Amino acid sequence: MSEMVLDLSEDAQEYGRQALRAFEAAGGDQLVQDAEAKPAIRDSLVGPVLNELGAWELDARTDVDGLEAAAALCRSAGYWALPYPVAERLAKPTDLESDGLIVVASNRPAGAVGGVETRWTAVTSGGTRSTVVGHGATGPAFVTPLELSEIDKNGAGDVALALALPCWTLLGMLDRAIELTIAHVSLRKQFGQPLSTFQGVQFQLTDAEVERSGLEILAKYALWSIGSDKPEAIVDALALRMSAIEAAEVVFRVCHQLHGAVGFCDETTLSWLSRYSQPLRRLPLGLSATRDELTRRAGRSGLTGLYA
Amino acid sequence: MGPKAAELRREIRELVKSEVPEGFLGAFTDDPADLETAQRFCRTLAERNMLCLSWPEEFGGGGASVWEQTVVREEMWAHHEPRGAQYMGVNWVGPIIMRHGTEEQQNKHLPPIARGEVIWCQGFSEPESGSDLASLRTTARPDGDGWLISGQKIWTSYATMAQWCFLLARTHKGEKKQQGLTIFLVPMDDPAIQVRPIRAMLGPHHLNEVFFDDLRVSRADVLGEVDNGWSIVGEVTSFERVGIARYARCERLLAAAPSVLADRWEDLPAELRGRWVRMLTHCRRARLLAYRVVSLQSSGRIQPGDAAGYRIAVTKLDQDSAEVLMEIAAEVTPEDPGAEWFLGEVEDHWRYSQASTVSSGSIEMQRILLSRALLAVSK
Repeated sequence: MSEMVLDLSEDAQEYGRQALRAFEAAGGDQLVQDAEAKPAIRDSLVGPVLNELGAWELDARTDVDGLEAAAALCRSAGYWALPYPVAERLAKPTDLESDGLIVVASNRPAGAVGGVETRWTAVTSGGTRSTVVGHGATGPAFVTPLELSEIDKNGAGDVALALALPCWTLLGMLDRAIELTIAHVSLRKQFGQPLSTFQGVQFQLTDAEVERSGLEILAKYALWSIGSDKPEAIVDALALRMSAIEAAEVVFRVCHQLHGAVGFCDETTLSWLSRYSQPLRRLPLGLSATRDELTRRAGRSGLTGLYA
Repeated sequence: MGPKAAELRREIRELVKSEVPEGFLGAFTDDPADLETAQRFCRTLAERNMLCLSWPEEFGGGGASVWEQTVVREEMWAHHEPRGAQYMGVNWVGPIIMRHGTEEQQNKHLPPIARGEVIWCQGFSEPESGSDLASLRTTARPDGDGWLISGQKIWTSYATMAQWCFLLARTHKGEKKQQGLTIFLVPMDDPAIQVRPIRAMLGPHHLNEVFFDDLRVSRADVLGEVDNGWSIVGEVTSFERVGIARYARCERLLAAAPSVLADRWEDLPAELRGRWVRMLTHCRRARLLAYRVVSLQSSGRIQPGDAAGYRIAVTKLDQDSAEVLMEIAAEVTPEDPGAEWFLGEVEDHWRYSQASTVSSGSIEMQRILLSRALLAVSK
């Protein structure tokens, strides 16, 4: 088994940077706004740039380089709140005729895939796989209820990756939210000086950054666990998901607060990032349900570490 | 970390098991046997050439990799620092003397540290100078070819048992308060030094006040350059920031909790078990952040904000995990397996953790460093 490396490979990082530039050239922040106006055009809006980046040639399931590149791509997609279910597409199972995999809660299956018509597969955290045969109306942030037709119960091994990749998307959103907030507090003046000179502002930023950097390193750990086929990969992915949701709560709370009223305006990118982070944080399981599931799976042995 | 580090971890655990009594809660309790345990353990480590494993071979060390050093830090802290106060000499006093000491100072101080014979204390904080360390008032005034030092230090760990003090004093009033400070290496048995213990919740023999009343020092006692001690202080604090692997003790205690409660673990409120697994996740997070700092340090790419972010995460983990552990401990009965050990460890951990966001650079100082680094990006 390979040793865990703390950062993505240089190739994956470079691919992530290319993707950032490509998404910017394709419309950047405008993409999500256009897609919200017309969810049905999501595919035509973002499909070409993802094709150019070779997104669908990445093999995240059996090739470690592909896995790292997929994570980097998700992170870059999150940075621009790219209106496309990139993580779900990249998590597709290898043994089914399918274009993407959505982890769902068994009692209320839903996904942020409204307007993207393709061969979707759904899987519960217990491993029951279904074909998505229909969906309801598209609600906020492209979330739509899914109609499922059960295929088999062989999907347990598919879940960890399908939980982890959306966390990389969320990480990209947090990267951006903090970047925007740093820029805002450096420019915006009150009482004759930039907000960034106030310690009350500085300390809130550090709360956000500690959460963001902690999420980043747990995301890498989970990726390594998944790529090494470790039996506890699902526990590691759930631990990552719990931390991702907690980090998102802290980061968006701080970033909204420090942006002030302008952060709620549609002309401000934070407003879009914040709204579009919601499906990633609530589906398939919100914070409490994720922690319950993690606690159940971790049992009494906890997480693999120095003493377990 | 590699196979060498894993083998070292196994070796250290075996040694601790054979040399340190179960229930050892550090060297600073009311029981003098605990101090003797620590002193004996240091000598044993020294005999096996393991005490100064991290030191370069030219100074009698083991030339260990940064990952082997990390293993030592983790295992020692997880097992209640059986090196007692000597970890400080090994971790940073020795390495700083290697960098800045004269050949004479190196010959005088490094071998006793390496043999596990000597305890150092750090004379930095003063009653009026905590986070604002450079404002300190302890003064070394010129006298003949040396100086006379007068003033007071406080919160000085291990001063009652130390043979030497790494002392920061003002030799000159510079334009900036960071100028004109000098480091002296002074013997604690000098009659001009008086130590007064401060009993505290961290451990009854841990904190002290130290008074200097015309302590005579010479040029030979100066470490580095006169008036330029502040640059060395910066190096000391950067050693200290990753010096203690607090996450390792948190993780060891959290991992032990289910076996202590045995069948009753599942009867705990689900919410408490949820907080437990959350703390384990935070242990993993802090450990990986520590590894990133170690990796950046060893490749020379470290920025001031990098260690600060880790320190914020690990010191908060220390306190948060202590609260969760205390709540679990309240469910333990004296008949449970390992109850006495677990309850003693957890109670001690909780008391000690109260200081983790205060000592060795408060969390506020870490936040200042981290926010500076974040905001520098936008300039």
